[in-house]
Amino acid sequence: MRPPTFRSPWLYTVVGAIVTVVLLSPLYWVLSGSLMTQRELFSPHFSIWPHQFVFQNWSNALVRLWPHFATSAIVSVCTSALTLLVTAPAAYAMIWLKVRGRGAILSFMLTSQMLPAIVFVIPLFILFSQVSLVNSLPGLILGDMTFTVPFALIMLSAYIREFPYQLVEAAQVDGAGQWRAFFSIVLPVTKTGMITVAIFSFLMPWGDLIFALTFITESGLQPLTLELYKAVGVYGIDWSFLLPGSLLTALPGVIFVVAASRFIVAGFTRGALH
Amino acid sequence: MKQLEAIPERRATPPGAQHRVAPRRRAAWRTALTSYSFILPIAVFGVFLLVYPVLYSLALSFRDATVETIVGGDMPFIGFSNYEQSLADPTFWQALENTVIFTFCSILFQFTIGFLLAIFFQNRFPLKNVLVALLLIPWIIPVLTAANTFKGLFNEVGPINQIAHLLGLPTVPWLASPGFALAATIVANIWIGFPFNFILLYSGVCNIPPEVYEAARIDGAGYWRRVGHITLPILKPVTVAVLMLGTIYTVKVFDLVFIMTGGGPANTSHLLSTYAYQIGFSIYNYGEAAAIAIVIIALILTLNLFQLFLRRR
Repeated sequence: MRPPTFRSPWLYTVVGAIVTVVLLSPLYWVLSGSLMTQRELFSPHFSIWPHQFVFQNWSNALVRLWPHFATSAIVSVCTSALTLLVTAPAAYAMIWLKVRGRGAILSFMLTSQMLPAIVFVIPLFILFSQVSLVNSLPGLILGDMTFTVPFALIMLSAYIREFPYQLVEAAQVDGAGQWRAFFSIVLPVTKTGMITVAIFSFLMPWGDLIFALTFITESGLQPLTLELYKAVGVYGIDWSFLLPGSLLTALPGVIFVVAASRFIVAGFTRGALH
Repeated sequence: MKQLEAIPERRATPPGAQHRVAPRRRAAWRTALTSYSFILPIAVFGVFLLVYPVLYSLALSFRDATVETIVGGDMPFIGFSNYEQSLADPTFWQALENTVIFTFCSILFQFTIGFLLAIFFQNRFPLKNVLVALLLIPWIIPVLTAANTFKGLFNEVGPINQIAHLLGLPTVPWLASPGFALAATIVANIWIGFPFNFILLYSGVCNIPPEVYEAARIDGAGYWRRVGHITLPILKPVTVAVLMLGTIYTVKVFDLVFIMTGGGPANTSHLLSTYAYQIGFSIYNYGEAAAIAIVIIALILTLNLFQLFLRRR
């Protein structure tokens, strides 16, 4: 359906591109600002492009963030893997093995996905301080899982609902047990869904601040977000670190969205609307 | 979770099972056991990391829980004192009001922008998928990146004031003025959330068969009439879902406001979530923080019931 004013489809492309550029302009400011000196960035005059490119901002940020990059990667990979380990069999069993109480589990997960992080942060902080999981990556991973697990279960059950169960029945005739069928048939067939959910379960802990802020005080264990949050210090903000650092933190998400937008669109609408 | 624990026993002796022959009963047992082995991990996780924290929050909200009483080992039961204390604090009411304003304005603009984008992208044109992917970026990047972006844009000497100065408009220390600070966080949140609205509405719009519009066009209905009389009614279920999910996710927002304003200046831009965090981890009154958390849960559950009511109708 098109408003009759546009004759050529390329006109839509032009209008769409302009709208996109306007909506993404805040990120453009961060990008150009990340290459400026702090004095130029906040001079009285607006500069649309750096007078002098300060690539050192980026190299400084990279050097400072590198160890935290590694920490974030470990936390996110572990969270993602454990989330799938916990939710994939459960989603399958709840849809196809007709486990009783699945309605209760699903609606409980839906509800807990809606709860604010603070509900989990306070009790888990107290609990984890008693079992020395505070200032440890496993503690942070468990904390992050409180928001990835409900999300992943709901999204996965949307994917697994479309799985053709006859494949498992055929395998059972050949004598395969449910677990074997799960690993050799269900997982490969629902690969797309698994990968999409794995990536989301990676990005959520990657961007987490509240659990990291509460659970981790030791500087050797701090993930990216925490190191960047600390750039807002008592003596003002170190923008020449904050801007390139913020873009570096956004990198995995941007790469993913550009590489696999179709999966996200399909996956997210399924998960959210079912 | 009582229900969950009771399931295996119920399943193990289905009605009339004792009349069956032994091998069949053993087979049924094994099937049931296998099924439960699939959900065992999530059940354990759910009990310890989801159910327990919620119940513990509830318990804490009735107790005097500070660093001293926790270390001391006994947190005295103090009834509704934590709730009374929060309700007596003007900052609580300010935070509640802010949460309502923040949520309403965010949703209104996110939805409007998302909807306009969705009906624009309903047209077929070259490079459409590239633009759709690019428009998802604000939503997929960490909230921290977006928060720092807008913290810079709204800086007293940042680009928004630079441009205002250029145009001869008065400049405002956005993040340091009561009222404007909250407005700035709302603008940032609209930017973060519009792609979510857009993408759900867009996929809804893509499922509308073009023939529906053809008929209306032949009848002489103009573009906006067709949007109002065809697109909007068909999208109603998607719209309800988008608005409700959006509302619930917006009530939860924490990082954005925490990073951009920290609730300041003078506690004027707190949301309930940042206020609860401040009570918990700056003042170390876990009991009162838990009480505020319970208030947020009550708010979200009410919204949820309202959604169920809307969906039933």
